[in-house]
This record gives sequence, C-alpha cells and structure tokens, in this order.
Amino acid sequence: MRDIVCEILSNKEVGENIFEMVLLADRVDDIQGGQFVNIQLPNKEMLLRRPFCLCDFDEVNKTFTICYAVVGEGTKVLSGLAVGQQLKATLPLGNGFLLSGKYNKIMLIGGGMGSAVLPAIARRNKDVECVCYLGFANKGKVVLEEKLREVCSKVVVATDDGSYGESGFVTNIAKADLDSLGVDAIFCCGPEVMYRAIKKTFADVNIPIFVSLEQRMGCGIGACLVCNCKIEREGKQGYYRVCKDGPVFELKEVVL
Amino acid sequence: MQRRTSIRVERGGIVSNLKVNIAGVEFKNPIITASGTFGFGREFNNFYPLSDLGGICTKGLTLMPRDGNPAPRIAETKSGIINSVGLQNPGIEHYLATDDKWLAEQDTVVIANIAGASLDDYIAMGEKINESNAQMVELNISCPNVKAGGMAFGVLPASVEQVTRAVKNVCKKPVITKLSPNVSCIADNAKAAQNGGADGISLINTLSAMAVNYKTRKPILFNNNGGLSGACVKPVALKMVWDCYNAVDIPIIGLGGITSYTDVLEFMICGARAVQVGTYNFTEPMGASQIAKDLENYVKEQDMDINDLVGSLILNK
Repeated sequence: MRDIVCEILSNKEVGENIFEMVLLADRVDDIQGGQFVNIQLPNKEMLLRRPFCLCDFDEVNKTFTICYAVVGEGTKVLSGLAVGQQLKATLPLGNGFLLSGKYNKIMLIGGGMGSAVLPAIARRNKDVECVCYLGFANKGKVVLEEKLREVCSKVVVATDDGSYGESGFVTNIAKADLDSLGVDAIFCCGPEVMYRAIKKTFADVNIPIFVSLEQRMGCGIGACLVCNCKIEREGKQGYYRVCKDGPVFELKEVVL
Repeated sequence: MQRRTSIRVERGGIVSNLKVNIAGVEFKNPIITASGTFGFGREFNNFYPLSDLGGICTKGLTLMPRDGNPAPRIAETKSGIINSVGLQNPGIEHYLATDDKWLAEQDTVVIANIAGASLDDYIAMGEKINESNAQMVELNISCPNVKAGGMAFGVLPASVEQVTRAVKNVCKKPVITKLSPNVSCIADNAKAAQNGGADGISLINTLSAMAVNYKTRKPILFNNNGGLSGACVKPVALKMVWDCYNAVDIPIIGLGGITSYTDVLEFMICGARAVQVGTYNFTEPMGASQIAKDLENYVKEQDMDINDLVGSLILNK
C-alpha cells in the first residue's frame, strides 16, 4: 500500500446518478480484484478519505477506475470534479480475492453498485473463467455490463422491475443456472440484504461463497478499528476489520 | 527564568534543537501519535519509519481483551469526526507477547495507554505495564467507573487524583494522566493529577458529541454518542492547554485537531512541551511524519530551540 497523487482522466455519468471515474496512478500492477482505494476529497471540511472498490485497471496506461453512485456529500463533491484535478489516494488496500491456481471457473454476482467490484476480479484472473450475474433495480441503474462482457464468458443482467434484461432478483436467476454451469466458487458483492438472501437460497450449495463487506471507515489501513464486522471463526464470534482483515470474507463466517 | 537561547549564546552560539524532555524521557522531536488513531504502529510503518516520530502512544490497553461497540463506530462532521470504538483491544497480555518487543525496536519513544473499568483494574494495569518496554504510561481516565455508578474517572478532580495516585504507587514508569475536556474546570483536574503524583498531563481527549440522521431521526453511531476530534476542536484544546499551563508545574502534552507544524507551534506557545497528532493520521497516512519534518525545517530556519516556545504566549492587555 502507498499514498500517491492521482490525476482524474475522466469522470462521466454512466447511469442514473452513477459515475465512472478513471484516474492516472504511478502503477497498477499490484492491484488485486476485491481491493479498494481510499480517496481524499479536495474539500478540507470532509476529513475522512472515501473508500471505493478498485473497479477496473489498465496496466498499459497505468490507470484505475472507480464506479460510484452519488449518495452523500462526499460523492456529490466527487461527481463535480473536473478532468485534470489531482487527488491523493492510498492504494491498494484490503485483502483481495485471489483465484489463480485455486479455481477454474467462478460465478460473479453483483447487486447494484456492488457490481463495481467484479471487473477487476475477472481482469486480474485471466486463467479463470468467469460467468457474471448482475442485478439492478431498473434499467436506469444498469452499469458496467459492457466492461464485464470484455472479461467474462457470460453476462446475465436482471432488473427487479423487468425494465431491462431478465426480470426478478438476480440471486434467484443465478441459483437456477448454477448446477448447469459447473463453477467451483461464487463471489458476490451487493447490499447486506442480498447476502441474507444468498445465505438462504444457496444453503444447499457446497462450493465456497465469498462476499465483500462495507462499513463506515476511519483510516482505511487497519489502525483505528472503526470499520468492524462480526465474523465467526472456529466457533467463536468476534469483530474483524473490514479494511484490513477484509473486505472479502467467506459468507459462512459472516454474522449477518 | 533564564531563556535557553541565552544559555546557548553563553556557550558559544545558537544551535537549533528539536529535542524535548518529559519526565526524564527524551523525545527526538515533540511529535507523538495519539492513542487510538495509530494502532500499535505496524500499519503506519508501511508508509514511513516510526523513527521519524518523537514517540507513539499505543491503542488503549485493558487487562482483558475487549470487543468494543457494534458498528457504526464513526460519523463525519464538519472538520471533525465522532468515534465510538469502545476500547476494542487485544488485552495487555497479547500486547506484551506480540507488539511490545517490535515497538521497542522502532527507535521512537513508546507510551503505553492504559484503561480500566475500576480502580483495581488501573492498579493491576499499572503493575502489569512494568513488564513492558514502554518508556512511559498514559492513563485513559475517560472510561466509566463501573464500580462507582458509571461516572467517568476523569470527571471529578477527586477521582482524577485517586486514580493517578493509585497507578503511581505501583508503576515504575513515568505516568501521564490524559485529561477529559468534558468537565467544568479542566485546570482543577490538572492540579488533581499533579497532586496525585502525575509526571505529566496530556490533553484534550475527545469532546462528548452526537451526530444525527434527520431522515431516520436516529443517531448515526450505534452507541448514540461518541467523542469529537479533528481540526474543529483545536481552538478548544489550545485554550485548555493554556489554562492548565497556568495551573500546574508538570509538563503538558497538547493534542486536539493538529494538522500542521504551525498548529504544533501554537500548542507549544500555549504551554505544551510536546504534542500528539490523532485524527490527522486518518486524513493523511504520512501526516505525522510530514509535520515532524516541517517542524525540523522551521526550527533550523529560525535557528531556535523549540523548548523556548513553551508557554511563551503573549496575552493582549
């Protein structure tokens, strides 16, 4: 991990209130899928850096991408930043999702903005076949489909209201296809309600299921113990750090 | 009092100095990282060598491991943050077994921050910490005293004196009592710490605060309230450091919202002999190291002894 100054190369609205920002870094070859970047806003009143998953990267041009929805004051400021603006950023942070040598074919499931974690996972693990299931509330919220088609052998998009792609909850659609796909692990990123649904719907599944957690963060590097999550290991529940022990955990050990 | 610069002039010229001494412990510079913002130093060691710092203050340690509070534990406010971690820590035994030796090898002063839920806890911690390599001990007295109805040890002067004396009786290391700002007169508590035998005081701990979500009508923190820190508290801290400087003779470590070397100068002018950098570590992982470097440049440029600043505030008539 290191603290660098990045330059904004683009910052475009790609869905309803959803933006993709491409930043120029010193290097991106050390980025693993599932890791995140902690970005400092130019507004000095907002002391905390904002953590975003490293959505995608380009090793030739040394750029990385974040994809974010405007949900609060911080993302509002971010969405208004112009090309050429320089931002301080600490990266890459957290434990990524390492696949090579472990799995041959995996299923990626994204729920809403959780889908932003998936492209980097597939791009970093080119020897692993990735099949991807994305769920969004409606057509206006659908993002990253094209990017994921570049790196996955199959991409299925579903919307809750049926306004785009398949109709219904993506967890149910993914579960229906699971047996025919022959995957040996599942990685999912979405809201907590989705993890609860997966715990229930995928209860009879015997392959490992990994999820990425989020929590309000302080330092982002593991020192302040602010971003805690409850994990059960060896029969004992305890608090772990989302930023350093995670953000990727096996679903069966996450206490929801 | 004879000024140090004049002493050095008598010895043949001014030589800039950044070293400070607190209760017999020498710090290479007055920058210390504040408890709870720096873990046990390992994470920040990825960004700069801890030897850049005058000292580090450990995460608050308790006799037994503590889980801390459920999430959310942090809320952002304008130029500040409110936290309610609830003293999550692995316990003193774990610290002694895994972090103590490593920290001692980092060429910086280590201050062990200890906390307890009863006077007996503090006494046991004060004894236990003698086994560590830490050069100093900082008492976190903002914890509620479970045996005395839950009021924090740090609120009433009598209990500040009592807990300080109890630890001083058993602890062989210099003891710094960390004062809470959530009191009616912090100078009285500074005197109480001095009367209890404290070798120094540090202030301010966080200000009691709350952040509210108007949509849900609920506090943002799970624990409802927490402690406010960050740049917004600096003016409060400066005033309190000055008040305490005028009340006691023991050295003061000042903290609260420091984000630059000029903030450090202001705290020292108000009476602090050293400072702690806390919340700024979150904003800038290299921040404390950078402040130490900037301060060194300033002192060289001014060809001054940093100690000459301590308490040099010139009040308006």
